[in-house]
Amino acid sequence: MKQKSYPLRPTGGEIRDLAQPGYYSGFSTLAQKKKWDETTRQVVTERVEKVPPLRFFSSGEAELLTAIVSRVIPQDDRAADRMIPVHPAIDERLFKNELNGFRYEDMPPDREAYRLGLKAIDEMAQKRFHEPFVSLTVHRQELILKSLHDGKPDPAHRIWQRMPVHRFWTLLAEDCVTAYYSHPWAWDEIGFGGPAYPRGYMRLENGLPEPWEVDEQRYDWNAPVDSLSELDEQGAPPEQVLPQAHGSSS
Amino acid sequence: MSMLNHHGHRLGSMQTLPAPMRKYADRETVDYCIVGAGSAGGVLAQRLARAGFRIVALEAGPFWDTEKDWVSDERGSHELYWNDLRITGGKDPLALGANNSGKGVGGGSVHWAAFAPRFHPSDFRVYSEDSVGADWPISYWDLKPYYELLEQEIPVAGPAWFPWGDPHGYPYGPHPLGGVGDVLVRGCAKLGLRSVAGGPVAILSASHGDRPHCIYRGFCIQGCKVGAKASTLITHVPDAIDHGAEIRALSMAARISLHDDGRVDGVLYIDRDGNEHFQRARAVIVSGYAIETPRLLLNSACSGHRHGLANSSGTLGQYLMAQAGNVVAGRFDELIRLYKAPPAHALSEEFYETDKRRDFARGFAIQTVGPLPAAFAKQMMNAMGAWGWGLRRVMMDMNHWATIGVLGEILPWEDNRVELAEEKDQYGLRVAKVTFNLHDNDKKLIEFGKKRVMEVMWAAGAEQVVQESRYAHLVGAARMGSDPATSVVDKFGRTHDIPNLFVCDGSILPTQGSANPGLTIQALAARTADYLIKQGDAIFFSNRRDQCEPGIRYDLSPPYTNFKGNPRVA
Ligand SMILES: Cc1cc2nc3c(=O)[nH]c(=O)nc-3n(C[C@H](O)[C@H](O)[C@H](O)COP(=O)(O)OP(=O)(O)OC[C@H]3O[C@@H](n4cnc5c(N)ncnc54)[C@H](O)[C@@H]3O)c2cc1C
Ligand code: SF4
Repeated sequence: MKQKSYPLRPTGGEIRDLAQPGYYSGFSTLAQKKKWDETTRQVVTERVEKVPPLRFFSSGEAELLTAIVSRVIPQDDRAADRMIPVHPAIDERLFKNELNGFRYEDMPPDREAYRLGLKAIDEMAQKRFHEPFVSLTVHRQELILKSLHDGKPDPAHRIWQRMPVHRFWTLLAEDCVTAYYSHPWAWDEIGFGGPAYPRGYMRLENGLPEPWEVDEQRYDWNAPVDSLSELDEQGAPPEQVLPQAHGSSS
Repeated sequence: MSMLNHHGHRLGSMQTLPAPMRKYADRETVDYCIVGAGSAGGVLAQRLARAGFRIVALEAGPFWDTEKDWVSDERGSHELYWNDLRITGGKDPLALGANNSGKGVGGGSVHWAAFAPRFHPSDFRVYSEDSVGADWPISYWDLKPYYELLEQEIPVAGPAWFPWGDPHGYPYGPHPLGGVGDVLVRGCAKLGLRSVAGGPVAILSASHGDRPHCIYRGFCIQGCKVGAKASTLITHVPDAIDHGAEIRALSMAARISLHDDGRVDGVLYIDRDGNEHFQRARAVIVSGYAIETPRLLLNSACSGHRHGLANSSGTLGQYLMAQAGNVVAGRFDELIRLYKAPPAHALSEEFYETDKRRDFARGFAIQTVGPLPAAFAKQMMNAMGAWGWGLRRVMMDMNHWATIGVLGEILPWEDNRVELAEEKDQYGLRVAKVTFNLHDNDKKLIEFGKKRVMEVMWAAGAEQVVQESRYAHLVGAARMGSDPATSVVDKFGRTHDIPNLFVCDGSILPTQGSANPGLTIQALAARTADYLIKQGDAIFFSNRRDQCEPGIRYDLSPPYTNFKGNPRVA
């Protein structure tokens, strides 16, 4: 039994402005929407067509959040008209004060946590690089964010004494991935079949595609060379305090 | 009494809500007011209504119309969960919200994955056998006929031969295997471990009455629009309404009222517009889930019951349990497509019982899990520390991954508890604060379980294996027992302190085994109902506590559900 970790990736193509990144070229969940039930069709179509306006964050905060979110879930490989709206989804959740059902006793309420987190990130940028976060190079932005991801804020900031950095990171990153992977364009990217009622699935075994799905077409691609967020070759989780997540279970 | 019409209100793709539903006027006194129309509350309401009692069930959430309200979409299903504020703390704080409980008619059975194994006989005797945890005031054999009954009523599909605990078979045939189940079965076989496939799950493998069978779309945790997966919303609530029960949705119970005579006389609740009402009742049953049940009883403190109703023992809120739910993910060269088929479809209970060779008591089960993209992304964040480009890359490989869960027994500890926080919710009620700490036995069990499941994953041929810690299934916090000094309710769910106040839901479990609790909760509800029916009016007038077994009633099942068999060794 070979206990190898994340497969080594040979040098491949550069990231480009793709209408659809991922290995399922030609697959579109939205093309199937006539087969979905009415309510699902409405909810998913609206997510694509009606991007919620910014109502919670100030324009300055929104600009900063956008810069952060673009590193937590980068989309530089996507064509401009195929970018998935992430920060508007976060703004909408906070504007409506939609809770996830709980708060850690050592955390402030979500709204306050975001305001504090944004402030800390911007002041860390100022202190370390003497520029606001939004003006930093991508690499420097990643340096700051990686220090939060690793649970070792560099430079230290007093806000992280009040608010546990790993909890803030989880809050932020979970909101980002929820927005991104709830979008049908992301489903196309990863080859997820999407809504399937009332039709259902027929081919359950052996990873076979349904007649309307497509087979995987793998290719090699590289993240920007200086990126800090690529998984290392061993695929070992970077040293960090692993918080407990929420989501589905059985 | 007025009539409410629910024309065209859909419960699954074929069933409609019976119309009209009986509606009691505000000043009418009912026999039983049930708080919470969830897994337990739905079964109770159905049984008691069939036996002729006047029933109102107050439900904080909406009365789902499955066609209009539910979607085949992860994010669009957020409203199924109890999203109101709760505070979580302790050394190992539990994530609540979506990982936790439901809000709306059907409660947690709306979003459960529907794994429906029974507890083992040993689960009822943990203290006697292992000197840890607690014994139940009943045995497996008291509950067995109710397991069989509920397996027919909801019904459960699974193998003809389930080899663990008290071996038995299932009334409906097993489901075809998806990619993840295939991995579990292959990995277990390689290691010489027995496994079962295609169940036991409360999902139809063949059509049943007005419910069609599963279409393998994998959105079970988002609520089954098809109506193939059992929830009390579609299995018991329609029959309850047919027999005159009122299910009053969007009604949040705020406090239970205690009369001078030491008996409860009704429930104060708040409607959708924020108006207060009082529902008079001759007896009250709280079925609000292991967090909201103790919260309501604590919020109902009054003179003579300063520390909460039915809390003379001081154990209300204590001995809360969660099951360890570590998710082990393995990447395979070939495609798996883990989103197809119900997340719950194969398991092994080879490690369920205490093994004296290990350095901990009790055990765990191994079960399939099937996260959809957003949930899987979060798991990869936690298991691999993935973010940014790394996360995008690993997500592009989602179809190559399979996920298998540990379901580990965590013992009941006094310091794991539900209390009231200072914060208040939108109704002005103090919210629950949940404290959770892992103890030595729990930590050893989790370490061991995690390693075994990772081995199963390697054995199945994975080329990379990672794992994420998490917890599932909260129970306990108002436990049953024979000693009023160390428990909240007796073996029928009646509070030791107040003769016409009952608790019936997951909060009465003294221990939890490593079986998912849903079936046991519903079986206990059917048993409590039989007891109440047998007692008749005595519950309403007498303080005498009859501890005789009621005897099981086979004539109270919803229509068309009691003609299948339960294979078993004679
Ligand atoms: C994602 C997920 C998957 C799961 N999968 C499985 C599985 O595969 N198998 C299994 O056995 N279990 C599973 N479970 C657990 C299962 O759902 C619960 O154990 C079960 O539903 C608990 O039943 P209950 O009757 O105690 O409470 P619930 O079913 O949660 O019902 C409580 C009801 O009371 C209502 N309520 C609460 N307080 C009030 C109030 N003050 N006023 C009015 N109404 C109130 C709530 O809105 C709710 O509807 C899963 C849980 C989750 C979160
Ligand atoms: S997989 Fe089956 S049970 Fe689950 S939601 Fe789909 S149809 Fe319902």
